[in-house]
Amino acid sequence: MPVEQNSKYSFTDIYTSTGPTTTPTQSFYRPTEQPPAAAEPLPVSGSIHSPVAGADRLCPCDENTAVCDINCCCDRVCNEEVALFTSCSISAVRSGSKQLCSQDVAQYTLWTTVDGYSELQSSVQKETNYDILCIQAQNRYDGLSHPSPRLPTDSNFDSLFSQFVSFIFGSELSDEVLPAKLQTLTGYQFGDVLATAEQSGQRGMFYLPAPGITADCVNNSPAAFLKDQSSRCSQHVALDGDCSSLRALRMDTYTNIQLFAGKNADAPVVPVDVASVILQSTEGTQTELAVSEGVNLLPVLITTTLCANVVLKVVYVIKYNSAGEVENGSVSLVLGFISEAEVSLQQEFQVMYIQGDVGGRAVHYNGNPGYVVGMPLITEDQDCLQGPHQRSPILFGLDYVSGCTLRLEDITNCSLVSQLILDVLRGPNSPQYVASFGNSPLENVLDWVPVKTNINPTAAQSCNIPLSIHLEIEWTKYGSLVNPQAQIVNIREVIETNRSSLALLSGGTSILPIRGSVAFIPVSAAALPGYRATPSINAKLPFDFFFPFV
Amino acid sequence: MAFYEVYSHPVLVRYRSSVCTKATLFLVVVLCLTYIAPLLVAYRSQGFWIKRNIYEEQPVVRFQYQTLLVAATSLQGDYVAWSTFPHLNNMLGSNLRIPAVSVREEDQNQDGKLDLLTFQLQLPLKADEQVYSVQLLLTFSYQLFRMSTVVMQSLAFVQHSSPVPGAKLFISGDLRLQQRTPLPHWGLYNIYNVSVIDGSSPFASAYDLTNVMRSYQERNLTTVLSSPTPVWTVGRAAGSPFELYAEIRYPLEIIRYPFNKNSEGIESVF
Repeated sequence: MPVEQNSKYSFTDIYTSTGPTTTPTQSFYRPTEQPPAAAEPLPVSGSIHSPVAGADRLCPCDENTAVCDINCCCDRVCNEEVALFTSCSISAVRSGSKQLCSQDVAQYTLWTTVDGYSELQSSVQKETNYDILCIQAQNRYDGLSHPSPRLPTDSNFDSLFSQFVSFIFGSELSDEVLPAKLQTLTGYQFGDVLATAEQSGQRGMFYLPAPGITADCVNNSPAAFLKDQSSRCSQHVALDGDCSSLRALRMDTYTNIQLFAGKNADAPVVPVDVASVILQSTEGTQTELAVSEGVNLLPVLITTTLCANVVLKVVYVIKYNSAGEVENGSVSLVLGFISEAEVSLQQEFQVMYIQGDVGGRAVHYNGNPGYVVGMPLITEDQDCLQGPHQRSPILFGLDYVSGCTLRLEDITNCSLVSQLILDVLRGPNSPQYVASFGNSPLENVLDWVPVKTNINPTAAQSCNIPLSIHLEIEWTKYGSLVNPQAQIVNIREVIETNRSSLALLSGGTSILPIRGSVAFIPVSAAALPGYRATPSINAKLPFDFFFPFV
Repeated sequence: MAFYEVYSHPVLVRYRSSVCTKATLFLVVVLCLTYIAPLLVAYRSQGFWIKRNIYEEQPVVRFQYQTLLVAATSLQGDYVAWSTFPHLNNMLGSNLRIPAVSVREEDQNQDGKLDLLTFQLQLPLKADEQVYSVQLLLTFSYQLFRMSTVVMQSLAFVQHSSPVPGAKLFISGDLRLQQRTPLPHWGLYNIYNVSVIDGSSPFASAYDLTNVMRSYQERNLTTVLSSPTPVWTVGRAAGSPFELYAEIRYPLEIIRYPFNKNSEGIESVF
């Protein structure tokens, strides 16, 4: 039973005396079990000091030896400085846990004398805890203390290290491996980095620039085998220095590549041939150059703000065989101009892998059989509804609207303007037929849905100009309920012309908005339940009705 | 004279009736109401038996010391970046800027579980550079033990931008758990114990923040840094580094779980 014994023994000469000897009760929280000493500590490490226990000896705020810490009342070296103290940063020092029934507490109080200086009064008191669940005596060392750590020795260092180290800086993987490790397997596998033969005779990597953490090109990002990849990224160019020197703008960076056919060191080297070079003018028109042997169009600075023969787009086609070896590679390029002194140039990079040793030409399906959402519609030349100039493909299932503005100053030949706009709206080689399934073969005539055209030549007084094109594509779900396939059943092109005079329509500004839009309309009938026999009432309780009994 | 009880015995009264009477019908109805109606009522009012429940637990979180930092240094889109992934650092080329980072994880209440991460970063800048935006990604190892053992790797993403160049960004927030589906109530749940960023990948797409966040947000169990009020301090002195100071707490989480295994994911058909 805890007995309150407020034995208070004040002492004013705390600085000269060595402090009161510990009261008998202090032996309670002295560890009776000393930490087990390690068998053979490492040569440099000694044993760990056991903590001091006496409340009057502890001083957490004493941070400087032999120098008085200001406002630290338990600091023993503060003799004269005490007069300058304003308060005690720590007023009570406890030696043990608060849960002990009774323990010594060193109290430090400051009081001001008549002449304005401070005077310190310190005392050691026995503090009594009246909690009925207080700790009367603590005879186990590890009850209220941290267990003593195992001292590292030569034998247990590695196990201790792996036990306590989880995540640290510098635990990253070291940067090596890559240029395809030599293995017994000769061919590449999916995701492998393609190896190239450098001029220095070393093995390098086949790089395909791609955007990294920003939209800027990461020029040394490798391309992975069999991963078709298409990326657009921007290259920062300052013309005066970069036009002829920046490697990313030069054609030979992308054409002068020698690929290793396989992973092993003695694999044959396959060159990358230039399949085509297209020159794009500053206005955007494209002309194909005749590819001759050794064609090399390097960037040239024509004027201070015009750099010619800059690589804008690179498309690699790499043919492989079933053993995973590269058979050949070809590259098509688009070269163009930079017409600003400092610009972020957008470049486009693409790599495609085609299996070479399969018979016949591989045809890409846009669904098998039904269309897959997001895949382009197939038109009769197995190409998409995409012309060369800024026309987007119609993607299945995605409704789309876009447009442009047209400035019509003076209409003299209305029918010519009308025909021109209609051609622009429909695009070059606009399709007559659309495949009803994603994998419709060309031979199967019934699989192709004709595009019905519906021009609304509303009776306008003067001039009919088409203002919008709208494609209505009706599709249905075909086949089983579990795995329905999308089928296009009807496609309609609606072209609207102006109903009032053009001046009225544009509100006097002579600017007309022209619009193109696509709508996908699901026309599939809701699935109906069909009964083979007369239905019976299926009166059944839910399966978990008697939970948890059954 | 006072009476007292000499003896007592119960009396049995029988009410007889033939089968086809109103009394029989009444008896059947009463029997039905006594046993079936309470069951129906109980079932419709979500049952006697709890199917979903919640519990509270403080997770065991460790910072994985994986960091990715992108800072825009001009209004034209110049940037500097740094990460703990060697492949990415190699790809960054001249945009790589190595900061000074100090990290401390603290167990404030001495319960053996870490409570607070203090992350300090000092990014040195050139004379013509200013910081307009900061993107910071930190990865964590996240574990729960009370019902099912959940082991996953998660991330905290900080993104802040300002039209005015800054000297310091201070973030103080909680790393909160986001559950899309209830967790199982027993067993090991470690399907998300995969790297948030594949640091061994040499491909630039592996570090594309769009790809990282897309695949992370597809997960049913994620963490998100809720830091409602980042503090952007302006007025950086010339030559001094940009400072980023983040305090991320690991708070108690309320976790949903199904009470019995059978009801998981199966809706009532009644």
